[in-house]
Amino acid sequence: MLRVESVSVRRGRTMTLEDVSLSLEPGRTLAVVGESGAGKSTLIAAVLGFLRPWRGEISWAGAPVRDCAPSLVMQEPRAAFNPTLTLRRSVMEPVAARRPPPLDRMERLCRGLELTHDLLDRRPLEVSIGQAQRLGLLRALIAAPPLVLFDEPLSALDAFTQKRTARLIADLQAEEGFAALIVTHDLGYACAYADDIAVLRSGRIEELTRPKDFIASPRTAYGRKLRDAAVALGAFERAA
Amino acid sequence: MTLSVSGLGAVRSGRTILHPTSLEIASGDRIGLVGASGSGKSTLGHALIDDLRAQGRGVAHVPQSPDEALDPLRSLEFHWNEAELALKAPPDADRRKRLLSALKIAGGDLGKRPWGWSRGMQQRFVIAMALIGSPELIVLDEPTSALDPVIAADTMDLLESHLNGTGTATLLITHDLGLAARRVSRLMVMDEGRVVEAASTQDLLECPRTGAAKSLCAHRSWLAVPC
Repeated sequence: MLRVESVSVRRGRTMTLEDVSLSLEPGRTLAVVGESGAGKSTLIAAVLGFLRPWRGEISWAGAPVRDCAPSLVMQEPRAAFNPTLTLRRSVMEPVAARRPPPLDRMERLCRGLELTHDLLDRRPLEVSIGQAQRLGLLRALIAAPPLVLFDEPLSALDAFTQKRTARLIADLQAEEGFAALIVTHDLGYACAYADDIAVLRSGRIEELTRPKDFIASPRTAYGRKLRDAAVALGAFERAA
Repeated sequence: MTLSVSGLGAVRSGRTILHPTSLEIASGDRIGLVGASGSGKSTLGHALIDDLRAQGRGVAHVPQSPDEALDPLRSLEFHWNEAELALKAPPDADRRKRLLSALKIAGGDLGKRPWGWSRGMQQRFVIAMALIGSPELIVLDEPTSALDPVIAADTMDLLESHLNGTGTATLLITHDLGLAARRVSRLMVMDEGRVVEAASTQDLLECPRTGAAKSLCAHRSWLAVPC
Protein backbone atom coordinates (compact mmCIF):
# COMPACT_ATOMS: atom_id res chain seq x y z
CA MET A 1 0.00 0.00 0.00
CA LEU A 2 0.95 3.64 -0.45
CA ARG A 3 1.98 5.40 2.74
CA VAL A 4 2.62 9.12 2.94
CA GLU A 5 3.76 9.83 6.48
CA SER A 6 4.10 13.35 7.88
CA VAL A 7 5.52 14.62 4.60
CA SER A 8 6.63 18.23 4.18
CA VAL A 9 8.04 19.59 0.93
CA ARG A 10 9.87 22.88 0.67
CA ARG A 11 10.44 24.94 -2.43
CA GLY A 12 12.89 27.69 -1.57
CA ARG A 13 11.54 29.25 1.58
CA THR A 14 7.96 28.19 0.90
CA MET A 15 6.49 25.06 2.41
CA THR A 16 4.38 23.59 -0.42
CA LEU A 17 3.31 20.53 1.56
CA GLU A 18 3.19 20.46 5.32
CA ASP A 19 2.82 17.41 7.50
CA VAL A 20 0.73 15.46 5.00
CA SER A 21 -0.22 11.90 5.91
CA LEU A 22 -2.24 9.58 3.68
CA SER A 23 -2.58 5.91 2.94
CA LEU A 24 -4.03 4.07 -0.02
CA GLU A 25 -4.74 0.36 -0.39
CA PRO A 26 -4.67 -1.59 -3.68
CA GLY A 27 -8.01 -1.38 -5.48
CA ARG A 28 -9.00 1.78 -3.62
CA THR A 29 -9.33 5.36 -4.85
CA LEU A 30 -8.28 8.47 -2.98
CA ALA A 31 -9.24 11.85 -4.45
CA VAL A 32 -7.29 14.93 -3.43
CA VAL A 33 -9.27 18.12 -4.01
CA GLY A 34 -8.34 21.75 -3.49
CA GLU A 35 -7.74 25.07 -5.18
CA SER A 36 -4.83 25.93 -7.51
CA GLY A 37 -1.64 26.27 -5.52
CA ALA A 38 -2.94 24.06 -2.69
CA GLY A 39 -0.13 21.56 -3.30
CA LYS A 40 -2.01 18.89 -5.29
CA SER A 41 0.53 18.57 -8.10
CA THR A 42 3.38 18.83 -5.57
CA LEU A 43 1.91 15.81 -3.81
CA ILE A 44 1.94 13.83 -7.08
CA ALA A 45 5.53 14.90 -7.79
CA ALA A 46 6.58 13.88 -4.28
CA VAL A 47 4.86 10.47 -4.52
CA LEU A 48 6.54 9.82 -7.87
CA GLY A 49 9.90 10.77 -6.37
CA PHE A 50 10.39 13.88 -8.53
CA LEU A 51 10.56 15.99 -5.37
CA ARG A 52 12.36 14.87 -2.25
CA PRO A 53 10.40 15.48 0.96
CA TRP A 54 12.06 17.80 3.40
CA ARG A 55 10.57 15.74 6.19
CA GLY A 56 8.60 12.50 6.33
CA GLU A 57 8.49 9.28 4.34
CA ILE A 58 6.69 8.08 1.23
CA SER A 59 6.64 4.36 0.48
CA TRP A 60 4.81 1.60 -1.38
CA ALA A 61 4.72 -1.74 0.46
CA GLY A 62 7.63 -0.56 2.60
CA ALA A 63 9.90 0.24 -0.35
CA PRO A 64 10.49 3.44 -2.35
CA VAL A 65 7.47 4.17 -4.55
CA ARG A 66 9.51 4.16 -7.76
CA ASP A 67 10.30 0.45 -7.18
CA CYS A 68 6.66 -0.39 -8.00
CA ALA A 69 6.91 1.57 -11.30
CA PRO A 70 3.82 3.72 -10.79
CA SER A 71 2.09 5.36 -13.75
CA LEU A 72 0.97 8.94 -14.22
CA VAL A 73 -2.01 10.07 -16.29
CA MET A 74 -1.39 13.67 -17.23
CA GLN A 75 -3.82 16.54 -17.38
CA GLU A 76 -3.52 17.57 -21.04
CA PRO A 77 -3.98 14.35 -22.98
CA ARG A 78 -2.54 15.33 -26.35
CA ALA A 79 0.44 17.20 -24.88
CA ALA A 80 1.29 14.07 -22.88
CA PHE A 81 2.44 12.30 -26.07
CA ASN A 82 5.44 12.95 -28.28
CA PRO A 83 3.83 14.62 -31.32
CA THR A 84 6.34 13.06 -33.76
CA LEU A 85 5.75 9.42 -32.76
CA THR A 86 2.81 7.19 -33.58
CA LEU A 87 0.56 6.59 -30.63
CA ARG A 88 1.34 2.86 -30.83
CA ARG A 89 5.01 3.59 -30.17
CA SER A 90 4.24 5.97 -27.30
CA VAL A 91 1.72 3.62 -25.74
CA MET A 92 4.12 0.65 -25.87
CA GLU A 93 7.05 2.64 -24.43
CA PRO A 94 6.57 1.41 -20.84
CA VAL A 95 6.87 -2.21 -22.06
CA ALA A 96 9.41 -1.63 -24.85
CA ALA A 97 11.97 -3.90 -23.16
CA ARG A 98 9.58 -6.83 -22.71
CA ARG A 99 9.96 -9.80 -25.03
CA PRO A 100 7.53 -10.78 -26.31
CA PRO A 101 5.54 -7.54 -26.03
CA PRO A 102 2.29 -7.98 -24.06
CA LEU A 103 0.03 -7.83 -27.10
CA ASP A 104 -2.80 -9.82 -25.51
CA ARG A 105 -2.92 -7.37 -22.66
CA MET A 106 -2.95 -4.45 -25.05
CA GLU A 107 -5.80 -6.05 -26.95
CA ARG A 108 -7.82 -6.49 -23.77
CA LEU A 109 -7.17 -2.95 -22.55
CA CYS A 110 -8.09 -1.54 -25.98
CA ARG A 111 -11.42 -3.33 -25.77
CA GLY A 112 -12.01 -2.03 -22.25
CA LEU A 113 -11.13 1.52 -23.27
CA GLU A 114 -13.13 1.34 -26.50
CA LEU A 115 -10.04 2.04 -28.64
CA THR A 116 -9.66 0.73 -32.17
CA HIS A 117 -6.34 -0.29 -33.71
CA ASP A 118 -6.38 2.31 -36.46
CA LEU A 119 -6.10 5.02 -33.76
CA LEU A 120 -2.77 3.58 -32.65
CA ASP A 121 -1.22 4.24 -36.04
CA ARG A 122 -2.05 7.95 -35.85
CA ARG A 123 -0.14 10.78 -34.20
CA PRO A 124 -1.44 12.69 -31.14
CA LEU A 125 -2.88 15.61 -33.10
CA GLU A 126 -4.82 13.24 -35.37
CA VAL A 127 -7.11 11.94 -32.61
CA SER A 128 -9.84 13.66 -30.59
CA ILE A 129 -9.07 14.84 -27.09
CA GLY A 130 -11.30 12.13 -25.59
CA GLN A 131 -9.49 9.46 -27.62
CA ALA A 132 -6.13 10.91 -26.54
CA GLN A 133 -7.21 10.70 -22.90
CA ARG A 134 -8.15 7.02 -23.31
CA LEU A 135 -4.84 6.38 -25.09
CA GLY A 136 -3.12 8.02 -22.10
CA LEU A 137 -4.91 5.55 -19.85
CA LEU A 138 -3.80 2.69 -22.10
CA ARG A 139 -0.18 3.82 -21.80
CA ALA A 140 -0.53 4.22 -18.04
CA LEU A 141 -1.93 0.71 -17.60
CA ILE A 142 -0.06 -1.33 -20.22
CA ALA A 143 2.68 -2.35 -17.75
CA ALA A 144 0.09 -3.36 -15.10
CA PRO A 145 1.24 -0.88 -12.45
CA PRO A 146 -0.08 -1.38 -8.92
CA LEU A 147 -0.37 2.39 -8.41
CA VAL A 148 -1.73 4.95 -10.89
CA LEU A 149 -1.65 8.70 -10.27
CA PHE A 150 -4.16 10.84 -12.13
CA ASP A 151 -3.49 14.58 -12.42
CA GLU A 152 -6.81 16.26 -13.34
CA PRO A 153 -7.60 13.35 -15.70
CA LEU A 154 -10.91 14.71 -16.97
CA SER A 155 -10.39 18.47 -17.07
CA ALA A 156 -9.79 18.67 -20.84
CA LEU A 157 -12.92 16.64 -21.68
CA ASP A 158 -16.52 17.66 -22.23
CA ALA A 159 -19.15 16.73 -19.64
CA PHE A 160 -20.39 13.62 -21.47
CA THR A 161 -16.87 12.32 -22.24
CA GLN A 162 -15.84 13.00 -18.62
CA LYS A 163 -18.54 10.73 -17.28
CA ARG A 164 -17.85 8.02 -19.85
CA THR A 165 -14.09 8.12 -19.18
CA ALA A 166 -14.60 8.07 -15.41
CA ARG A 167 -16.75 4.94 -15.80
CA LEU A 168 -14.06 3.27 -17.95
CA ILE A 169 -11.37 4.07 -15.36
CA ALA A 170 -13.52 2.63 -12.57
CA ASP A 171 -14.30 -0.53 -14.59
CA LEU A 172 -10.62 -1.08 -15.36
CA GLN A 173 -9.71 -0.50 -11.73
CA ALA A 174 -12.26 -3.10 -10.61
CA GLU A 175 -10.70 -5.56 -13.06
CA GLU A 176 -7.02 -4.72 -12.51
CA GLY A 177 -7.02 -3.79 -8.83
CA PHE A 178 -4.63 -0.86 -9.03
CA ALA A 179 -4.62 1.84 -6.36
CA ALA A 180 -5.70 5.21 -7.79
CA LEU A 181 -4.62 8.59 -6.43
CA ILE A 182 -6.66 11.22 -8.24
CA VAL A 183 -5.90 14.92 -8.00
CA THR A 184 -8.85 16.96 -9.21
CA HIS A 185 -10.68 20.21 -8.68
CA ASP A 186 -13.92 18.49 -9.66
CA LEU A 187 -15.69 17.61 -6.45
CA GLY A 188 -18.52 15.93 -8.36
CA TYR A 189 -16.14 13.42 -9.93
CA ALA A 190 -14.32 12.91 -6.63
CA CYS A 191 -17.53 12.24 -4.74
CA ALA A 192 -18.91 9.92 -7.42
CA TYR A 193 -15.85 7.66 -7.69
CA ALA A 194 -13.46 8.00 -4.74
CA ASP A 195 -13.51 5.87 -1.59
CA ASP A 196 -11.99 8.75 0.37
CA ILE A 197 -11.59 12.48 -0.19
CA ALA A 198 -8.72 14.61 1.09
CA VAL A 199 -9.16 18.37 1.03
CA LEU A 200 -5.77 20.00 0.57
CA ARG A 201 -5.34 23.69 1.32
CA SER A 202 -2.13 25.70 1.55
CA GLY A 203 -0.15 22.46 1.61
CA ARG A 204 -2.07 20.92 4.52
CA ILE A 205 -4.80 18.31 4.61
CA GLU A 206 -7.80 20.01 6.16
CA GLU A 207 -10.21 17.08 5.90
CA LEU A 208 -9.92 13.40 5.07
CA THR A 209 -13.30 11.77 4.88
CA ARG A 210 -15.80 9.61 2.97
CA PRO A 211 -17.54 11.36 0.03
CA LYS A 212 -21.00 10.88 1.52
CA ASP A 213 -19.98 12.49 4.80
CA PHE A 214 -18.21 15.32 2.98
CA ILE A 215 -21.28 16.21 0.91
CA ALA A 216 -23.56 15.99 3.94
CA SER A 217 -21.43 18.07 6.28
CA PRO A 218 -17.98 19.35 5.40
CA ARG A 219 -16.05 19.97 8.59
CA THR A 220 -14.17 23.11 7.56
CA ALA A 221 -15.23 26.49 6.17
CA TYR A 222 -13.22 25.84 2.99
CA GLY A 223 -14.79 22.39 2.62
CA ARG A 224 -18.25 24.01 2.78
CA LYS A 225 -17.21 26.55 0.14
CA LEU A 226 -16.02 23.75 -2.14
CA ARG A 227 -19.23 21.78 -1.66
CA ASP A 228 -21.42 24.85 -2.23
CA ALA A 229 -19.45 25.83 -5.36
CA ALA A 230 -19.88 22.32 -6.80
CA VAL A 231 -23.64 22.60 -6.18
CA ALA A 232 -23.74 26.09 -7.77
CA LEU A 233 -21.87 24.81 -10.83
CA GLY A 234 -24.26 21.90 -11.29
CA ALA A 235 -21.92 19.02 -10.34
CA PHE A 236 -24.71 17.50 -8.27
CA GLU A 237 -28.32 16.96 -9.13
CA ARG A 238 -31.03 17.56 -6.56
CA ALA A 239 -32.15 14.18 -5.23
CA ALA A 240 -35.86 13.58 -5.65
CA MET B 1 -34.72 45.52 -28.19
CA THR B 2 -34.56 42.02 -29.66
CA LEU B 3 -31.37 40.86 -31.32
CA SER B 4 -31.99 38.85 -34.42
CA VAL B 5 -29.82 36.92 -36.87
CA SER B 6 -30.78 34.62 -39.70
CA GLY B 7 -29.01 32.14 -41.95
CA LEU B 8 -25.73 32.07 -40.04
CA GLY B 9 -23.48 29.37 -41.44
CA ALA B 10 -19.83 28.35 -41.59
CA VAL B 11 -17.72 26.10 -43.80
CA ARG B 12 -14.17 24.97 -43.03
CA SER B 13 -12.01 23.04 -45.51
CA GLY B 14 -15.09 22.27 -47.58
CA ARG B 15 -16.96 20.84 -44.58
CA THR B 16 -20.05 22.57 -43.21
CA ILE B 17 -19.37 23.14 -39.53
CA LEU B 18 -22.41 25.37 -38.96
CA HIS B 19 -25.65 24.77 -40.88
CA PRO B 20 -27.91 27.79 -41.54
CA THR B 21 -29.07 28.98 -38.14
CA SER B 22 -31.43 31.76 -37.11
CA LEU B 23 -31.76 33.15 -33.60
CA GLU B 24 -33.65 35.77 -31.66
CA ILE B 25 -32.44 37.02 -28.30
CA ALA B 26 -34.63 39.36 -26.24
CA SER B 27 -33.37 42.00 -23.86
CA GLY B 28 -32.25 40.43 -20.58
CA ASP B 29 -32.49 36.83 -21.86
CA ARG B 30 -30.37 34.19 -20.15
CA ILE B 31 -29.65 31.55 -22.77
CA GLY B 32 -27.46 28.47 -22.63
CA LEU B 33 -25.90 26.98 -25.76
CA VAL B 34 -24.91 23.43 -24.87
CA GLY B 35 -23.44 20.47 -26.74
CA ALA B 36 -20.50 18.09 -26.85
CA SER B 37 -17.00 19.14 -27.96
CA GLY B 38 -16.96 19.80 -31.70
CA SER B 39 -20.73 20.27 -31.98
CA GLY B 40 -20.31 23.83 -33.30
CA LYS B 41 -21.13 25.89 -30.19
CA SER B 42 -18.16 28.23 -30.37
CA THR B 43 -18.51 28.55 -34.16
CA LEU B 44 -22.11 29.69 -33.71
CA GLY B 45 -20.97 32.07 -30.94
CA HIS B 46 -18.35 33.67 -33.21
CA ALA B 47 -20.72 33.88 -36.18
CA LEU B 48 -23.37 35.47 -33.97
CA ILE B 49 -20.91 38.06 -32.62
CA ASP B 50 -19.68 38.97 -36.12
CA ASP B 51 -23.19 39.29 -37.55
CA LEU B 52 -24.55 41.38 -34.67
CA ARG B 53 -21.53 43.69 -34.71
CA ALA B 54 -22.00 44.12 -38.46
CA GLN B 55 -25.56 45.22 -37.63
CA GLY B 56 -24.08 47.81 -35.25
CA ARG B 57 -25.30 46.02 -32.11
CA GLY B 58 -23.28 46.03 -28.89
CA VAL B 59 -21.92 42.54 -28.25
CA ALA B 60 -19.11 41.55 -25.87
CA HIS B 61 -17.21 38.27 -25.84
CA VAL B 62 -15.65 36.55 -22.85
CA PRO B 63 -13.44 33.67 -24.02
CA GLN B 64 -12.72 30.46 -22.15
CA SER B 65 -9.30 31.52 -20.93
CA PRO B 66 -8.07 35.00 -20.02
CA ASP B 67 -4.92 34.11 -22.01
CA GLU B 68 -7.00 34.53 -25.17
CA ALA B 69 -8.06 38.05 -24.21
CA LEU B 70 -4.98 39.54 -22.54
CA ASP B 71 -1.54 40.36 -23.95
CA PRO B 72 1.07 39.11 -21.46
CA LEU B 73 3.42 41.97 -22.34
CA ARG B 74 0.93 44.79 -21.65
CA SER B 75 -0.31 46.11 -18.33
CA LEU B 76 -3.93 45.61 -17.31
CA GLU B 77 -4.34 49.39 -17.39
CA PHE B 78 -3.29 49.35 -21.07
CA HIS B 79 -5.94 46.71 -21.82
CA TRP B 80 -8.62 48.78 -20.10
CA ASN B 81 -7.67 51.93 -22.01
CA GLU B 82 -7.61 50.02 -25.31
CA ALA B 83 -11.05 48.56 -24.60
CA GLU B 84 -12.45 52.06 -23.93
CA LEU B 85 -10.91 53.31 -27.16
CA ALA B 86 -12.24 50.38 -29.19
CA LEU B 87 -15.72 50.87 -27.74
CA LYS B 88 -15.50 54.66 -28.24
CA ALA B 89 -16.30 55.03 -24.55
CA PRO B 90 -14.74 58.18 -23.08
CA PRO B 91 -12.37 57.39 -20.20
CA ASP B 92 -14.38 57.30 -17.01
CA ALA B 93 -12.65 56.57 -13.71
CA ASP B 94 -15.96 56.14 -11.87
CA ARG B 95 -17.18 53.52 -14.33
CA ARG B 96 -13.88 51.66 -14.03
CA LYS B 97 -14.09 51.69 -10.25
CA ARG B 98 -17.74 50.57 -10.33
CA LEU B 99 -17.11 47.65 -12.69
CA LEU B 100 -13.94 46.46 -10.96
CA SER B 101 -15.75 46.69 -7.61
CA ALA B 102 -18.72 44.73 -9.00
CA LEU B 103 -16.33 41.90 -9.90
CA LYS B 104 -14.48 42.33 -6.56
CA ILE B 105 -11.10 43.13 -8.12
CA ALA B 106 -10.96 46.86 -7.30
CA GLY B 107 -7.97 46.18 -5.03
CA GLY B 108 -5.84 44.77 -7.88
CA ASP B 109 -2.84 46.71 -9.21
CA LEU B 110 -3.66 47.65 -12.82
CA GLY B 111 -0.02 48.55 -13.43
CA LYS B 112 0.84 44.83 -13.42
CA ARG B 113 0.95 42.51 -16.42
CA PRO B 114 -1.86 39.91 -16.55
CA TRP B 115 0.36 37.19 -15.10
CA GLY B 116 0.86 39.34 -11.99
CA TRP B 117 -2.76 38.53 -11.13
CA SER B 118 -4.30 35.12 -10.40
CA ARG B 119 -6.25 33.47 -13.23
CA GLY B 120 -9.51 34.06 -11.39
CA MET B 121 -8.75 37.78 -11.13
CA GLN B 122 -7.70 37.90 -14.79
CA GLN B 123 -10.98 36.31 -15.90
CA ARG B 124 -12.95 38.76 -13.75
CA PHE B 125 -10.96 41.59 -15.34
CA VAL B 126 -11.91 40.30 -18.81
CA ILE B 127 -15.56 40.18 -17.75
CA ALA B 128 -15.32 43.73 -16.34
CA MET B 129 -13.86 44.91 -19.68
CA ALA B 130 -16.75 43.22 -21.47
CA LEU B 131 -19.15 45.36 -19.44
CA ILE B 132 -17.54 48.72 -20.33
CA GLY B 133 -19.87 49.50 -23.21
CA SER B 134 -23.03 48.23 -21.44
CA PRO B 135 -23.47 45.68 -24.26
CA GLU B 136 -26.83 44.34 -25.36
CA LEU B 137 -25.42 40.81 -25.29
CA ILE B 138 -22.45 39.12 -23.62
CA VAL B 139 -21.31 35.83 -25.14
CA LEU B 140 -19.61 33.78 -22.43
CA ASP B 141 -17.69 30.89 -24.01
CA GLU B 142 -16.94 28.34 -21.26
CA PRO B 143 -16.16 31.29 -18.97
CA THR B 144 -15.38 29.29 -15.86
CA SER B 145 -13.75 26.10 -17.10
CA ALA B 146 -10.22 27.46 -16.53
CA LEU B 147 -11.04 28.49 -12.95
CA ASP B 148 -11.15 26.77 -9.59
CA PRO B 149 -14.73 25.84 -8.69
CA VAL B 150 -15.03 28.26 -5.76
CA ILE B 151 -13.77 31.17 -7.87
CA ALA B 152 -15.86 30.04 -10.85
CA ALA B 153 -19.08 30.00 -8.81
CA ASP B 154 -18.27 33.41 -7.25
CA THR B 155 -17.50 34.92 -10.66
CA MET B 156 -20.78 33.75 -12.17
CA ASP B 157 -22.72 35.03 -9.14
CA LEU B 158 -21.02 38.45 -9.31
CA LEU B 159 -21.71 38.80 -13.04
CA GLU B 160 -25.34 37.79 -12.64
CA SER B 161 -25.98 40.18 -9.78
CA HIS B 162 -24.36 43.01 -11.76
CA LEU B 163 -26.46 42.29 -14.85
CA ASN B 164 -29.80 41.91 -13.05
CA GLY B 165 -32.16 44.58 -14.29
CA THR B 166 -29.72 46.02 -16.84
CA GLY B 167 -31.33 44.52 -19.94
CA THR B 168 -28.04 42.96 -21.06
CA ALA B 169 -28.68 39.44 -22.37
CA THR B 170 -26.20 36.59 -21.89
CA LEU B 171 -25.41 33.59 -24.04
CA LEU B 172 -23.58 30.97 -21.99
CA ILE B 173 -21.72 28.51 -24.22
CA THR B 174 -20.82 25.34 -22.34
CA HIS B 175 -20.43 21.58 -22.68
CA ASP B 176 -21.79 21.28 -19.17
CA LEU B 177 -25.57 21.10 -19.03
CA GLY B 178 -25.38 20.86 -15.23
CA LEU B 179 -23.77 24.33 -15.11
CA ALA B 180 -26.11 25.84 -17.71
CA ALA B 181 -29.20 24.41 -16.02
CA ARG B 182 -28.36 26.37 -12.87
CA ARG B 183 -27.73 29.62 -14.71
CA VAL B 184 -30.08 30.12 -17.66
CA SER B 185 -33.80 30.12 -18.35
CA ARG B 186 -33.64 28.87 -21.95
CA LEU B 187 -31.45 26.19 -23.52
CA MET B 188 -30.36 25.47 -27.08
CA VAL B 189 -28.72 22.12 -27.83
CA MET B 190 -26.19 21.82 -30.64
CA ASP B 191 -25.15 18.68 -32.45
CA GLU B 192 -23.06 18.36 -35.61
CA GLY B 193 -23.30 22.05 -36.48
CA ARG B 194 -27.06 22.40 -35.94
CA VAL B 195 -29.28 23.70 -33.16
CA VAL B 196 -31.29 20.51 -32.78
CA GLU B 197 -33.46 21.51 -29.85
CA ALA B 198 -34.46 24.72 -28.06
CA ALA B 199 -36.72 24.94 -25.04
CA SER B 200 -37.07 26.44 -21.59
CA THR B 201 -34.54 24.97 -19.18
CA GLN B 202 -37.22 23.17 -17.20
CA ASP B 203 -38.90 21.65 -20.27
CA LEU B 204 -35.62 20.48 -21.75
CA LEU B 205 -34.47 18.86 -18.51
CA GLU B 206 -37.82 17.16 -17.97
CA CYS B 207 -38.50 16.10 -21.52
CA PRO B 208 -35.52 16.12 -23.89
CA ARG B 209 -36.61 15.09 -27.39
CA THR B 210 -33.43 14.59 -29.43
CA GLY B 211 -30.64 12.08 -28.90
CA ALA B 212 -28.13 14.88 -28.20
CA ALA B 213 -30.35 16.48 -25.56
CA LYS B 214 -31.15 13.10 -23.98
CA SER B 215 -27.45 12.28 -23.76
CA LEU B 216 -26.63 15.68 -22.21
CA CYS B 217 -29.46 15.29 -19.69
CA ALA B 218 -28.40 11.76 -18.78
CA HIS B 219 -24.84 12.92 -18.07
CA ARG B 220 -25.50 16.36 -16.64
CA SER B 221 -24.35 15.71 -13.09
CA TRP B 222 -22.17 13.29 -11.19
CA LEU B 223 -24.48 12.43 -8.35
CA ALA B 224 -27.98 13.04 -7.11
CA VAL B 225 -27.67 14.45 -3.60
CA PRO B 226 -29.86 16.54 -1.31
CA CYS B 227 -28.76 20.04 -2.32
